[in-house]
Amino acid sequence: MSGLASVLGALVIWLALLGPVIALLTHLSGSAIASALTGPGDLDPLYTSLASGAVTLAVLLVFCTPLAYMMARGTLPFPRVWEAGVLCSLLLPPLVIGLLLIFMVGPYTPLGELLNATPWHLSATNTFLALVIAEVYESAPYYVVGAQAAFADVDPRMEEQAALLGDRPRRVFRRVTLPLAAPGLGVALSVAWARAMGAFGAVIIIAYHPYGLPLQIYVTLQETGLASALPYALVLLVVALPLPLAAFTWSAHARRRRRG
Amino acid sequence: MLDADVEVDRREFTVRAQLRVAPGERLALFGPSGAGKTTLLEVIAGLVRPARGRVQLGGRVLTSTEHPKTFVPPWQRRVGLLRQDPGLFPHLSVRGNLCYGPGADPGRELAQVADALGISALLPAMPVALSGGQAHRVALGRLLLAHCDALLLDEPYAGLDASLRRSLTELVAELVDAREVPAMLVAHELAEAQAFAHRLAILDHGQLLQVGAPDEVVLRPASRRVAELVGYLGFVPAAGPEGTVAGVHPERVTSGAHDERGVVLTGTVTGCRPSGAGWEADLAVDGTTITCRLPERPAEVGGELVVTVVDPPSFGPDGAAVARPGGSYLPSGPSNPEQVGR
Repeated sequence: MSGLASVLGALVIWLALLGPVIALLTHLSGSAIASALTGPGDLDPLYTSLASGAVTLAVLLVFCTPLAYMMARGTLPFPRVWEAGVLCSLLLPPLVIGLLLIFMVGPYTPLGELLNATPWHLSATNTFLALVIAEVYESAPYYVVGAQAAFADVDPRMEEQAALLGDRPRRVFRRVTLPLAAPGLGVALSVAWARAMGAFGAVIIIAYHPYGLPLQIYVTLQETGLASALPYALVLLVVALPLPLAAFTWSAHARRRRRG
Repeated sequence: MLDADVEVDRREFTVRAQLRVAPGERLALFGPSGAGKTTLLEVIAGLVRPARGRVQLGGRVLTSTEHPKTFVPPWQRRVGLLRQDPGLFPHLSVRGNLCYGPGADPGRELAQVADALGISALLPAMPVALSGGQAHRVALGRLLLAHCDALLLDEPYAGLDASLRRSLTELVAELVDAREVPAMLVAHELAEAQAFAHRLAILDHGQLLQVGAPDEVVLRPASRRVAELVGYLGFVPAAGPEGTVAGVHPERVTSGAHDERGVVLTGTVTGCRPSGAGWEADLAVDGTTITCRLPERPAEVGGELVVTVVDPPSFGPDGAAVARPGGSYLPSGPSNPEQVGR
């Protein structure tokens, strides 16, 4: 009896957590989705979000993976300082990140002027580049923390053994470290993807244009009301959630296969 | 030839050792936990840099702290290291693990090694499905296929049952003989070290105390400290200058008085318990307690017991071994242990 009560209690909490998703699905009709998303340019915010999200992930992979690895292996001097820095950026409210980015990469800052001086006259406000920058800042700490944990989970003696068998460090990283950390890296990357897809606080300050999905939802809500914004909310969930869910499933499967 | 003459500074003490291991020779390092045995292996493998010294393998200088300074990285040393955790890559199958080394031949040689180790049927399996003994065989096969020029074994069989340990030790010994590579074993148990090694090296607190044939080291320890480490549990006064003692190894005690075989002791039994197929008794002799293992149950506690300590080693007041006046009790007993002092 107490077992059944526990399950029922857990079910209530689980349903409460899923409440917003259930509310979304119960308040949407097929016709509302069709009318909101079939007009010319209606799917542009989706394409913008997908493109900026993909570039963001690439940036995280290339620049943040080595940082996470070095932090995990403790090869950096004053390791606690590095961790505190990442934690600090993780805890900054997104809106504050947006405000501070204006002072960092806005058009009248040295960095902004440097971007403008390039042959392409780049700007880090209200451009696709600005959207990517905002998404990177909102998602990077989540990736670094997750990737650091994934690398820390790889037994350094495995890497040592690979080296003794004749592999140079880069080859060890490719053949041993990366495959063993892959499940954790996949989860970290998918969480970063979800954060990038849903980035709003920093985006609204420095990248009001072009519209990604979160901003499209906000603008539609302001201009035409709640009902019109719901289809975009569904699209955002559909693009943001499957990757993390798949990554969690794959990660659990891979860990079971290796550890029994 | 593996030649190491190194000093490694550790927080508590400096590990100093000078060792030479010939191709096909098996050397066991024995000593208490934290003596520096693993550190020595890691220096040879290139995982730890010594403060001073030189490591040479087959004419190649792997490490030298003197001009020209040399440090060959672990991936270029061709030194195999097998630890207690076999360290199989969990994302690769047994076949993938065996063929991991760049020079591994995935064809005929793989089949030969797998056959010799009795793991042919396991090639498609993942490491998680292997038992402890199977995992160690695979790890050993991986080192063989990587064509290591030296084999270092760091308590590789700790945690495995006795019969498995014995069979794996024999297997490694055969493979070392066949491949003619120098091999070093860090052993936790003396019997394991004796079964494996041609020579036994005793390391304590970073110092190499004695190197010699296993029976030589055990029967003729170079010092009282070596005797304690190889299992002499009691020391009784012996002939010679004041303070001279004879070492009593529990397994070198026999019931009754046999003057011609060693030192005869008479004492009171203070404790008695079964031990393996025989009995272990504590005997109070002249204020000292010695332990002896006997095939039959000795007298009851409180009773008198006469035993003979067979050909015991003697140590002077300074702890160094001293020769018994008149020589060894046993004509075939080993003598002149190789003592290492620096």
